[in-house]
Amino acid sequence: MALPKRIIKETERLMAEPVKGISAVPHEDNLRYFDVTIEGPEQSPYEGGVFKLELFLPDDYPMTPPKIRFLTKIYHPNIDRLGRICLDVLKGNWSPALQIRTILLSIQALLGAPNPDDPLANDVAQKWKEDQNAAIETARQWTREHAKP
Amino acid sequence: MKFGHIFKERLKSEGFPPEWVESAISYSQLKKCINRLTNELSELGLDPQTLRQLLKKVEDFNAANKDDDKPLEYLLAGQAGLGEQQGGTAPFHPMLLVYVNETTGELDSAHLNEETRHKLQLLAIDTGLSDLRVVELPDEEPDCLPSRTVNNSAGGLRRRPGYRTVEVPLTSDIEFFSTLAAELVGLEELQEREQRRMRGEIERLGKQIARQTDPDRRANKKLLAIWRQIFQIYVESDIFFGTTESDHSARDSEAAVERFEKFASTIASHHLVDQMKREENLRALTAFMDINRNLLQGLRFGEINRIAMTKILKKFDKQTALGVKKTFPQRIEYPDFSQHLARAVCAEVNTQILSHVPRIDDYTCAMCMDIQWRPVRLRCQHVFCIRCLIVMQTNKQHFCPLCREKTVFDANAENLDLEMASFLKKWFPDEVKLKQRHNQLMAGKDEYGEVYQQKCCVM
Ligand SMILES: [Zn+2]
Ligand SMILES: [Zn+2]
Repeated sequence: MALPKRIIKETERLMAEPVKGISAVPHEDNLRYFDVTIEGPEQSPYEGGVFKLELFLPDDYPMTPPKIRFLTKIYHPNIDRLGRICLDVLKGNWSPALQIRTILLSIQALLGAPNPDDPLANDVAQKWKEDQNAAIETARQWTREHAKP
Repeated sequence: MKFGHIFKERLKSEGFPPEWVESAISYSQLKKCINRLTNELSELGLDPQTLRQLLKKVEDFNAANKDDDKPLEYLLAGQAGLGEQQGGTAPFHPMLLVYVNETTGELDSAHLNEETRHKLQLLAIDTGLSDLRVVELPDEEPDCLPSRTVNNSAGGLRRRPGYRTVEVPLTSDIEFFSTLAAELVGLEELQEREQRRMRGEIERLGKQIARQTDPDRRANKKLLAIWRQIFQIYVESDIFFGTTESDHSARDSEAAVERFEKFASTIASHHLVDQMKREENLRALTAFMDINRNLLQGLRFGEINRIAMTKILKKFDKQTALGVKKTFPQRIEYPDFSQHLARAVCAEVNTQILSHVPRIDDYTCAMCMDIQWRPVRLRCQHVFCIRCLIVMQTNKQHFCPLCREKTVFDANAENLDLEMASFLKKWFPDEVKLKQRHNQLMAGKDEYGEVYQQKCCVM
């Protein structure tokens, strides 16, 4: 099936006007599949790290949201061991007017503001609530170990 | 090469209109002023080195004490505060002030070294009544002051009980600042004149282009596409300002020129100029390019004058040690000649010229990012193409993707925006045709499945 105009346009814009700290490059043999990197936001425990993600646009995109997953190991209360992300706009709050770039920006923002009250990784969220400083330190350490640029 | 020389050369060689050149900052005249001022100060024993030393001490002293106890200060505005009331154009009245203890004749600072203190004391006392004018700030009647004094109530001067305020009589500094201030006002006026002139030109050109692109005139059909493409490239070139999320900044003239040239070569390489057959079209395009060149020149002119101002203030400080480079810009703002002009003119180009040729980007459906054909206007006033509306309704996506109101749910044939449909057909006939075909194809697929496309092609 031909690639919808929307996906072509979004891809072109991602290339022409990249977002700071974010890159998304489609696979040559499957233009619905993107290799994504997100730089950890400044002043967050993820600062200095570069995180790899995979993004896939399902057939009925944009009726349904893109499927996104972290490939780089990350210590975050809203991201589980498999890299799945708990983010409202990727689920019930998705709107077909949102785009790849807006979603990636939301994920970058999530790294800057972890939310242990709405956890996906329960054990991490628990630690985050019990001893925030220690949790942040672990996140830093994981970033240093796994998210080397 | 000295800056004065470079400045003069640039004014001469860059093809600025004579009227502009006349309004430029008179760097060499101001430089002469500074030389005279330096002489005046030296005659009073205040050579730059002494003065610098002195002011440095005052600064240290002020940092450590309440600023009531300054032994000496250089005020740019005798009438600070008045400026705002009079629209920022209050005349400059720079003053070098020394405070002397009335009874002892001593300078009020123990932090000055003996030598400078002595020197100033001599200035104040020995020459005080002949060479130096001693101004006593009166308690009650500010009206009967000598001419070069300050109206105390409005002035930046503080009355200090027990001290005499000695004003070191200087004339070249007044000349310097009033010349510079007048020139800045002149530059601002020049900018306003230019803006008016360009506005007239833009308006005229806008009307021409409107005529040349009117889709109701058959002869224009091809031309509309050409102008649209030219403007599309123009807008994307971001010549004067960035328009992306991460870059809204104004560009300096060098960057702007570079972008403009790239724009010019892009439209040439797309053979857009060659396709213009009639004389009037070419003339309009030339006028459009000229407006932009004019603006680039204004940008450049503003930049070199700004540099001239910075340099001359720096020179003033270096030769007199009076330290005005920081305080002067607080008093008078450098008229942002170029940027202000560029913003105003770009806005004008947008409303008067570019708007005559509607851009497809303003009529794309937020969901398929194609033209909004046929346009369906939801209750919330958001417009989508009918194809996307059908897809949403089939998928039970009841809420508007843009505002999340439940307006997709109850949309029906009544929501077709007929007025907009005829507008789109008129201005974007090719895009509409393509989208129409696409919508039919997708509808066919809905009904007959994927094979529909193949069948279609065979037939
Ligand atoms: Zn659509
Ligand atoms: Zn809406």
